[in-house]
Amino acid sequence: MGLSLSALAERKTLWPWLLLAPLTIYLALFFLVPLVEVALMSVTEPRPGLANYEKVLTGSLYRKVFLNTFGTALLVTLCCLLVGYPLAYLMSTVSKRAAMGILLLITMSFWTSFLVRTYAWMVLLGNNGPVVWLMQTLGIAEPPPLLFTRFSSTLAMVHILAPYMIMNIYTVMQKIDPSLIRSAESMGAYGKSLFRHIYLPLTAPGIANGSVLVFVICLGFYVTPVLLGSPREQMAAGLIGNQIEQFLAFGLGSAMSIVLLVVTLVILGIYHRRFGLDKLYG
Amino acid sequence: MTIKKTHNALIRPNRRLFLQGTAALAGASALAAPSIGRAQSKELYINSWGGPWLEAATENLFTPFTEATGIKVNTVSPVSFAKLAAQVRTGVYEFDVTTLGGGDIVAANNAGLLEPLEEPYPGGLFQNGVGSHAFATMMAWRTDKGWDETPQSWADFWDVERFPGGRSLQRYPARVLPLALLADGVAPEDLYPLDIDRAFAKLDEIKEHVRVWWTGGAQSTQILRDGEVDMIGIWHGRYFEAEDAGAPVAFTWNQAELDSAYWVVAKETPNMEAAKMFVDFATSAEPLAGFVAQANYGAMNPAADAFIPDSAKPRMPTAPGNVEMTFEQDMLNFGADPQEVAMRFDEWLAS
Repeated sequence: MGLSLSALAERKTLWPWLLLAPLTIYLALFFLVPLVEVALMSVTEPRPGLANYEKVLTGSLYRKVFLNTFGTALLVTLCCLLVGYPLAYLMSTVSKRAAMGILLLITMSFWTSFLVRTYAWMVLLGNNGPVVWLMQTLGIAEPPPLLFTRFSSTLAMVHILAPYMIMNIYTVMQKIDPSLIRSAESMGAYGKSLFRHIYLPLTAPGIANGSVLVFVICLGFYVTPVLLGSPREQMAAGLIGNQIEQFLAFGLGSAMSIVLLVVTLVILGIYHRRFGLDKLYG
Repeated sequence: MTIKKTHNALIRPNRRLFLQGTAALAGASALAAPSIGRAQSKELYINSWGGPWLEAATENLFTPFTEATGIKVNTVSPVSFAKLAAQVRTGVYEFDVTTLGGGDIVAANNAGLLEPLEEPYPGGLFQNGVGSHAFATMMAWRTDKGWDETPQSWADFWDVERFPGGRSLQRYPARVLPLALLADGVAPEDLYPLDIDRAFAKLDEIKEHVRVWWTGGAQSTQILRDGEVDMIGIWHGRYFEAEDAGAPVAFTWNQAELDSAYWVVAKETPNMEAAKMFVDFATSAEPLAGFVAQANYGAMNPAADAFIPDSAKPRMPTAPGNVEMTFEQDMLNFGADPQEVAMRFDEWLAS
């Protein structure tokens, strides 16, 4: 009896790992091995040493591009939060049906490819597009250039990334027990104070999850800033692509990738200490 | 060494690698069996530029080549210089044949990425590439801007007083620097070796007016056709696409910059024999004539001229009447290390 029980327990502990094995092997082969190769290339190409890192960390161009990348990611995250929070709140207050309707509208943009959405913004914001037409109709004779500016690339990235923010915050808001709000009200907390002391802290995990996801995804954006952004505001991913495609500087490109990865991991690490990474998965 | 090879093969997955990988891993699996046959059968993978290039190449080069030899042609997009290098480094080949411009071919040959070829026609071999066709970077503009005059030269391109409006140039310093020097008054015959500092100083003047540094051919057509910029330095084939789409645009051959495209074979590709056969075929008189006539390029093999109809010539940069107005790139006499100049250009762009 005792024997079979322990055998069962052993099976129980082994089983999840067995189930995970295909994924683990897949990730190791197609994710870890390439990553190690990239790390190796960054210290061996074109010759062994840390010259690539020295270049990345001291060159003015690289510093500028990295700062711009993190600045853009921060800006996009803030915009997503400003847009996403009220919308998620709306979804949590309306009927289930209406919430599903809004959710459908938000996720619909997921079904369209990045490139198509990027080009759609080009059409909307273009010189002969509806936005410029509207501004002219409203009496602005010389509308400011919209396309190929920081404005257009930020707008498009917010559009692409906002769903991540909304869904994270919505999930948390939905779970908030309404009786908590009612009891807060019975204690005399209304309006601003109810929001600041009760609702905001309760939704904080959703904000943190959404922000980290949006921020990290935004760090690696490539096509959208290249096609819509201003030439002066380059993102790290674009510069990495350039190093490899134009200069065949595999080592330098790898070093930049590793720096970007390390900084991202540091951010995730800070997040983990504060909130716990496991929260990211709901 | 073998470990290194496998290692590399695992990290750069692509379609062919996947097929070969499957074959290696699964061996006798029924799915993989056809791919083993395919890897050694008569097939060729060619790197494609897409757009009008691909249409003309399919009709005049790929299909006739398959008919003549029985070798099937597959195309792989996009054109990638880095992939050519990665292939040779890893021994995993996604394409066997590609075309390179004058700037890239010197760098590629110096890096040992190109299979040595034989001269197929007199003067046809350059840096282990076989001369195929010439194309131009020329000045084009919108005709709906209400300018009093018509732009004539790159100096006019730089003149935002007389020709106000947004500008666009290719994000490719080897092509753009000579244009800046022409705008600064250097005569075409005195361009090379380039005065790099002077070129950058001239670029400073136009920088804030260049709204897009385009990186893809389709992108350049789109911003001209949709009026996102008013004047552009553009490849001639891509310009004619905008004109044929009915956009209000015009161009000049004056001071157009001639660049040449060369067929090259990826070093040590397993499909070497078929690849070399294809390069010979694609640069021989009749197929090349059909290709350049359809895509408006200039043939580099003079023997092709006999097969080119007169009706195609007005749109060819190398046709008599046009070619006199153009100037040629001279990458072997560039005046500096092109890579260093390109790095400096990137820095300049971000500053």
